Amino acid sequence: MKNLIITGLLLASISFAGLSQREIGYVEYDLDNGIHVILHEERSTPIVAVSVLYHVGSKNEKDERTGFAHFFEHLLFEGSENIERGEYSELVEKNGGTLNANTSWDRTFYYEILPSNQLELGLWLESERLLHAKVDNTGIETQRSVVKEEKRQRDTPYSSFIEEMFSRMYPDHPYRWMPIGSMEHLDAAEEKDYVDFYRTFYVPANATLTIAGDIDIQETKKWINKYFNSIPKGQALNLYRDLETMEEEAFLDVYGISKERFDVNNFNNPDGKMAGALLNKLSNSPIRIPRPTEPQEKLTEVKKAVVHDNIQLPALFMGYQTPSQTHEDMYALQMMNDVLAGGASSRINKSLVEQKQMAVQAFAFAFGLEQAGVALFGAIGSAGQELDAIQSEFDIQIKMIQDELISQEEFEKVRNQYENDIVSSNSTIAGIAENLADNHVYNGGAEKINTELSEYLSVTREDIQRVAKKYLTQDARIVLHYLPMEESTEESENGQN
Amino acid sequence: MKNYILTLGLILPTVLFGQIDRSIRPEAAPAPTINIKNSEVFTTANGITVILSENHRLPRVSFNLSMGASPKVEGDKAGLSGVAGSLILSGTENRSKDELDNAIDYMGASLRASSTNVSMSCLTKHMDKGLGLMSDVVMNANFPQSEVDRIISQNEDNLLATKSQEAEMSGNARAVANFPSTHPYGEVMTQESLDKIDRASIVQYFKRTFTPNGSYLVVVGDITLKQTKIAVEKNFGSWSGGAVYKAELVGANSVKGNRVIFVNKAGADQSVISITYPLDIKPSNEDYLKLKVLDGILGGGVFGNRLMQNLREDKGYTYGCRSRASVDNYGSTFSAGGNFRNDVTDSAIVEILMELDRITLGLVEDEELSMTKSSMAGSFARSLEQPSTVARFALNIIRNELPKDYYQTYLKQLEAVTKEDILMVAQKYMTGSNCNIVVVGNEEVIDRITKFDSDGKIEKLDAFGNEASEKMEADISADQLLEKYSTMMAVGSIGKALKKKLKSVKTHKTIIEMKIPQAPGPVLSTTIWTAKGAEGSKMEMMGMTIQKSHFDGKQGGSGGQGGAKVMTEEEIVEKKKSYGLIPEMNYAESGMDYELTGIEIYDGKPCYVLKLTESKKVTFEYFDKETFQKTASVMMAATEQGMQEVTYTYADYKEYGGFLFPDTINLFVSGMQLSGKVKSREINVKVDLNEFK
Repeated sequence: MKNLIITGLLLASISFAGLSQREIGYVEYDLDNGIHVILHEERSTPIVAVSVLYHVGSKNEKDERTGFAHFFEHLLFEGSENIERGEYSELVEKNGGTLNANTSWDRTFYYEILPSNQLELGLWLESERLLHAKVDNTGIETQRSVVKEEKRQRDTPYSSFIEEMFSRMYPDHPYRWMPIGSMEHLDAAEEKDYVDFYRTFYVPANATLTIAGDIDIQETKKWINKYFNSIPKGQALNLYRDLETMEEEAFLDVYGISKERFDVNNFNNPDGKMAGALLNKLSNSPIRIPRPTEPQEKLTEVKKAVVHDNIQLPALFMGYQTPSQTHEDMYALQMMNDVLAGGASSRINKSLVEQKQMAVQAFAFAFGLEQAGVALFGAIGSAGQELDAIQSEFDIQIKMIQDELISQEEFEKVRNQYENDIVSSNSTIAGIAENLADNHVYNGGAEKINTELSEYLSVTREDIQRVAKKYLTQDARIVLHYLPMEESTEESENGQN
Repeated sequence: MKNYILTLGLILPTVLFGQIDRSIRPEAAPAPTINIKNSEVFTTANGITVILSENHRLPRVSFNLSMGASPKVEGDKAGLSGVAGSLILSGTENRSKDELDNAIDYMGASLRASSTNVSMSCLTKHMDKGLGLMSDVVMNANFPQSEVDRIISQNEDNLLATKSQEAEMSGNARAVANFPSTHPYGEVMTQESLDKIDRASIVQYFKRTFTPNGSYLVVVGDITLKQTKIAVEKNFGSWSGGAVYKAELVGANSVKGNRVIFVNKAGADQSVISITYPLDIKPSNEDYLKLKVLDGILGGGVFGNRLMQNLREDKGYTYGCRSRASVDNYGSTFSAGGNFRNDVTDSAIVEILMELDRITLGLVEDEELSMTKSSMAGSFARSLEQPSTVARFALNIIRNELPKDYYQTYLKQLEAVTKEDILMVAQKYMTGSNCNIVVVGNEEVIDRITKFDSDGKIEKLDAFGNEASEKMEADISADQLLEKYSTMMAVGSIGKALKKKLKSVKTHKTIIEMKIPQAPGPVLSTTIWTAKGAEGSKMEMMGMTIQKSHFDGKQGGSGGQGGAKVMTEEEIVEKKKSYGLIPEMNYAESGMDYELTGIEIYDGKPCYVLKLTESKKVTFEYFDKETFQKTASVMMAATEQGMQEVTYTYADYKEYGGFLFPDTINLFVSGMQLSGKVKSREINVKVDLNEFK
């Protein structure tokens, strides 16, 4: 026992790896049609999380059709060939489950949490969504008004600052618009635009199916095989979809073969050689998924702008260009952010809010996206507060973290916070499913779930100082002054708005 | 791995090219059992029963310490345990409240307490430190007087707020309807009982209740039995205390025939109906689960349950009508009800009673049974993900004397419940003819509900479950009241002297500092008035204007977080009805619709009640019968979101420039309480209406 403790201490002093993190086991494999499957067995609670991550977010949208990825997050609850309108949620709820979805710049994520004896139901539901969801005018109309209401609710004071920041940081990249997108674009779009989006991005090769919870791996694989492996591969998927939705004449026009030759219940065994050859050919023609290239533009100057919003108190937002989420500096950057302005006891909060009372609130976000990042700082000033004075205070704090190592106590506290957050994020099966999928698609592999904490804990005080110097470039940043509507005119002339 | 995929690839085609009919929906697999390991149980030398539920999935651990005492009758100090519970984390002999909070934050841990419980959870590696804090609280909580004062005043505010919260009022009436005052569940805190609660009684409560004897410590998470034993000995080994308090409780009230209980809520546009009676059942009873399923079918579940289907979907009487069988070891009850428009109050009662009877008359449908069971199974299963749920189960098994595998087999037991079982428990526990029918609402519904009472005599209770004092006829007229009030305001001046005095006042400006619990800073309320008829008011928090309004005598508007609005014609007409430094003096000529409705007890004192009726709001103003000071003003306004109620209370009248004004002004609105003190009140200072535009 004693020896063990000593060994433990030695290990801890060499590397902080795995201090509090337990290994999360999983199995992963690809289906023939390209769906990536990750299974995590955790049998202590008789529930299961069934999730599908589609590698499509607002950055995959065309600039005249923004908001599509998020719109689909709503539209794809409308039902499918085999699920009545409105029935999707009801089926989950009356079988004891719950469900939700979310959309970002980079992804769309759907999940159900069900009693584990309803796993097959969850797989069927998600496979229906992928194979042949209802994408038609009735559903589009319904969801347009729902999304517009959501947009109205999101249009709160200051909420535009992220878009104001991103559109200046990455003006030539789709990150410049927000996932909620433009309501005009959604209105202007026709049924065909929506159908095309579905046929392009809702395809097996773009999906990661992650199941976590009380599952039997073998049985789960059997069901996955039944419901997901039966989804046609490549362009054959859209042949299947057309078979269900097109009239005979149109189908014949497109494919030169009668619908009669195919049977949705036995799709892989069509009638006749020609049909078989067509199916084979289409199965082997992958669907091209358009992805933007990484933003090339490098911020080299200070861009300052004034934004007038429906607000009472002025606010300052500052943004710095940072690398994408997979870059090794992101760990130190995030911790640096938190030391500066994360939470009530952070440096900037203590000085700006508590001691100097120049601001009512101060905060920081470190956005690490798939293709780029932004480190963002903000403060809502007290009434009548000069924003330049707040900025000076920020600059003093930034200079300090660049010039001096943070204190041992601050360092330990921020480590404790990250440790607690990461451990907690893996305390539910839904959280584990989401983390596994995210890590697979964006962070170089599902295994990151087991190494993430040690990455944070291996960050040193020197690293934090180093990234502060490297990325908090005072001569290349974006500075936004948010002012109330009334105090308009002369200031906006100064701005580059 | 590679090999495996290859093998899979070889097998796949047979399945892949097999047929699949996607219109066939998957059936549920058999209900799973739950892998909760049996808990380890041991008792310490000082009498703590320790229940350990080992779970190494995550490096976290939680300690949940519950006292073994049964609820105790609090008598003239009703509410004592609740007050004491909110004070347990206020500091110890060794640490101030701030030090305690900071130490917990630093670790990212959590520490909570209630009147019979203290719990702590943290990462395993912080366990020693966390337990040190927890045991310090358990053994050395020291209840600083300043915190006691703060919590008591918070409770005072809560009590005042109760009068505007129908749900609270209904709960209090239900408590006294189902239980005698000699049962802890029949006790209701009042201002009188709160007045009797002091630091000494809180300390005494804590010492008597927090004793290791008979207590339960539930340990869940990443810890072994051996580590648990060491940690418990180290942190709680030296804890000592008296014997555990176990009381023989008297029974619940027996209900013979239907009994109607009415609680008056002046001006209410809807009735809160609760049909309730005591249930003779404990959690260990084998009928318990069946009763919960019945409750789900009747009105406890989410989907198409009978009450919701009938009263909401079919009749459209309400947004929600629910039932709840609440079962514990000390006193179980059933209740069903919801909020209903005044004019359907009687129809709603008829339908609810009918449903209570109907479920005893025949078997339920297969579909409603299976849906209810599935929904219950799902929420049960999901709840298990939280380690605290597992801890609660372990404790329940011991405290409620349940079979050891009760929760492991819960889903199977649930699945086994049949229609016949439901009918059996319905006939045993459900009744539509021996119920307390509690209605909180407008007096105008009394005529509609009297008929439900078996002996035709309804009982009237106040907001706290006490017999309501009957409203008395006023001994003066409305105009006499307003004259007395004006004289009081003017410190005795009447007639010409009063007019002259009023003429001397050109402006009046008041700044009130209002505190909201939990808010980062106080709200500053500034109001101005000028003799020319201008009025302005604004509310600010931390420099931010939340709301402002202005009126220049002819027109006005409002602004702030809700956006700018211009006063409508109608609003202007009404605004003009209350003008002057003492608007009440001018009601007779301003066209205000006012009426003296009688004398009621408000906050323990007889008060004249003046009812003001305007197009979209009704206001009840309470004037002390002895001093004629206005003590409260309760406004009910119809808004797009339904009825909104705003209550102001006034106290500590002081003289300013020859007039008496209250120094303490509290505001209650949408469940929020703002306690206000006048910071400054100035007569004839310069004011600027532009600040309010």
